[in-house]
Amino acid sequence: MTGQALLWGLLYALPLVVRSDFLLTIFIFTFIYGILGVTFDLIFGFTGQLSMFHPAVFGVSAYMTHLLAIHFKLPFWAATLPSAAAAIVLALVVGSVCFKFRLKTFYFAVVTLAFAEMIRLVVMNWNSVTNGTLGLVVSGKPTIYWPGSGVVPIKGPIAWYYLTLVCLSLTVLICARCLRSWMGRCFGAIRLNEDLARTLGINVFRYKLLSFAIGSALASFAGGLYGYYTGYIDPGYLSINQSMEVLAMVLLGGQGTLIGPIVGSLVLTGLPHAIDLRAEVRAMLYGAILIFTILVMPRGIVGTLYAWRSKRGA
Amino acid sequence: MTQLVLGQVLNGAIIGAMYGIIALGITLTFGITGIVNFALGEFMMIGAYVTYTLAERGMPYPVAVVPACLIAAAAGYLSNKAFFRFTRNNLVNGLLVSIGLISIFESASMLLWTATPVEMHFVLPGALRVGDIGLPKMKLVVFAVIVVVIVATYFALARTWLGRAAFAYAQNPEAAMLMGVHTPRLETAVMLYSTGLAGLGGALYASLYSLEPAMGGVYVLKGMEAAILGGIGSLMGSLWGGVILGVIEGVGSIFLPTAFRDAYGLAVLVAILLFRPSGLFGDE
Repeated sequence: MTGQALLWGLLYALPLVVRSDFLLTIFIFTFIYGILGVTFDLIFGFTGQLSMFHPAVFGVSAYMTHLLAIHFKLPFWAATLPSAAAAIVLALVVGSVCFKFRLKTFYFAVVTLAFAEMIRLVVMNWNSVTNGTLGLVVSGKPTIYWPGSGVVPIKGPIAWYYLTLVCLSLTVLICARCLRSWMGRCFGAIRLNEDLARTLGINVFRYKLLSFAIGSALASFAGGLYGYYTGYIDPGYLSINQSMEVLAMVLLGGQGTLIGPIVGSLVLTGLPHAIDLRAEVRAMLYGAILIFTILVMPRGIVGTLYAWRSKRGA
Repeated sequence: MTQLVLGQVLNGAIIGAMYGIIALGITLTFGITGIVNFALGEFMMIGAYVTYTLAERGMPYPVAVVPACLIAAAAGYLSNKAFFRFTRNNLVNGLLVSIGLISIFESASMLLWTATPVEMHFVLPGALRVGDIGLPKMKLVVFAVIVVVIVATYFALARTWLGRAAFAYAQNPEAAMLMGVHTPRLETAVMLYSTGLAGLGGALYASLYSLEPAMGGVYVLKGMEAAILGGIGSLMGSLWGGVILGVIEGVGSIFLPTAFRDAYGLAVLVAILLFRPSGLFGDE
C-alpha cells in the first residue's frame, strides 16, 4: 500500500520537476485514458463481463457535455452530470437486455458491440445536432473556483495535468471503495463462478447491472474531459478501435488491478510518441508489442510484478 | 417497387455470399480448433492485393487467384505457428492477438501499396438481364464460386474420414488424439484452409470493388455477424447467415434510411442472439 501511495505522491509532484509540455501532454492523455481503463476494468477485470460498450459511453458523454454547455449555457461541471445520468440510463437499458437474457462472455461482447455500433451510426448521421462525420469544435474551457482569484478557466498543460490527475484519483478512489465493500465481494463471486454466486443468494442480475452502471457513469467523465482537452469531437470517439485500445491498455497493464490500466495507458499513449518513426512502422510496432505481451505476460505488467513480489516474499 | 426489392435481394445475396466465405473461415477455426481468428479480414486483404498486383502485371485473372490463395494461406500458417496456437480456448487472448495482427498487416500493406484505394480493370464486363433487373456477370460468377466452395466444404466434412476426425477433435482433442488423429496436423490444416479461403474471398472481392488497406476490418465484422447469425460451428449456416445478412441490409436500405444500413443487420443479430443464442442453424 505504501508503494502505491508513493507512486501517487510522485505523480502529484511531477510538474514541479518536469516542465516539458511534451511529457505533460503524454501524462494528461494517460490520465484521461486511465479513467476509461480503470472503469472498464471494474466491468471486465473485476466482474468478468467483456463489455464493448465503453466507447459508446465515452463518445455520447463527450457530445452531450459539449452540446449541453453550448445550448443551455451550462458550465462544464454542470454539464457533466446530465451526461453521467445519460450514461447510466444507456448502461441500464443495454445491461438489462443483455443480463436478462443471460448473455455471457463472447455473446455479451458481441451484443454490446452491436449496440455501440448502432449508437455510433446515430451520432454519425444526426447531422443537425452532431455535424456528422465532420465533428464539432469545442472552444469552451472547464472552469474551477480558486480561492483568491475566483472562477478561473483551466488553461495550459500544468492546470490540465492536475485537473485530469485529480479526476483519475477520484475515479480510482470510488472504484476502490466499491470493490472493498459488499459490492466488490459480489462482483468477485460473479467473476469466479456465476452459478455458484447465484446459489449463494447473490442477485447476479442486479450486481452485474450495478457494475456496468457504475463503470459507465464514471467513464462518462473521461468523455467530457477528452472532448474539452483536445477541443474536437467526432464520431471516431465511438469506434470499435477505441474499444480495442481500452481493452489492450487494461490487458497490458494487468486486468483485475486498479493500477494496471493506468500503467497500460501510460505505455500505450507514451510509446508511440517516445519512438520517432513513420506512422506505419509505429503501428506495426504497436501490434507486435501487443501480441508479445499477451503471449509472454498474460497477467500484464502489474500482475507480473505482483506475482514476482509475492514469490520473492514467500 | 417489386423490381427494386427483387434487385436488392439478389444484390444482397451476392454481397452476403462474400460475408459467408469469411464466416466459414471463422466458424471452421473456432468450431474445430477453438481459436478466434479475428484477423481473417487481413488475409482477405492480402489475397485481394496479391490478385490486383499480379493481374495488373498482365497475369490472367483466373491464374492470379491461385497465388493469392497460396500467399494468404502461407501468411496464415506463419501466424498460426507463431501466435494463434497459443490462444486455443482463450477468446480474449485470441481477440487481442488478432488486433495486433490487424495492426501489423494493415500498416504493412500501407507501406507496400499506400492508403489510396486502387481498382482492378474489369475481368468480365457485361451484365445479364432478367426482366428489368441487370446483374453483372462477374457478380454471378463470384456468387457461384462461393456457393460451390461452401457446399464442397460441407460435403468434405460431412462425408469423409477427415470430417469425422475434425468433429472428434472439436469435441475432445485428447480422445481424438488417442483415436489416431494427428491433431497438430489437423489444426494446421484448418488454419491453412480458413486463411486460404479468406484469400480466395479477397481475390473475388478484388474483381468487383476497389481495394484499400483497411478493408479487412469491415469484412471480418460482417463475417463474424454472419457466423453468429447462422450459428457458430454450422458450415451451411455460415452461407445462409451471410446471405440473410446481405439481403437484410439491402432490403432494409430501400424502406429505411440508407445511412443506417449496417444497423439493420446488427438489430436482427441482437434479436437472434437474445431469442436463439445458438444461431439460426446451430445446435440447441
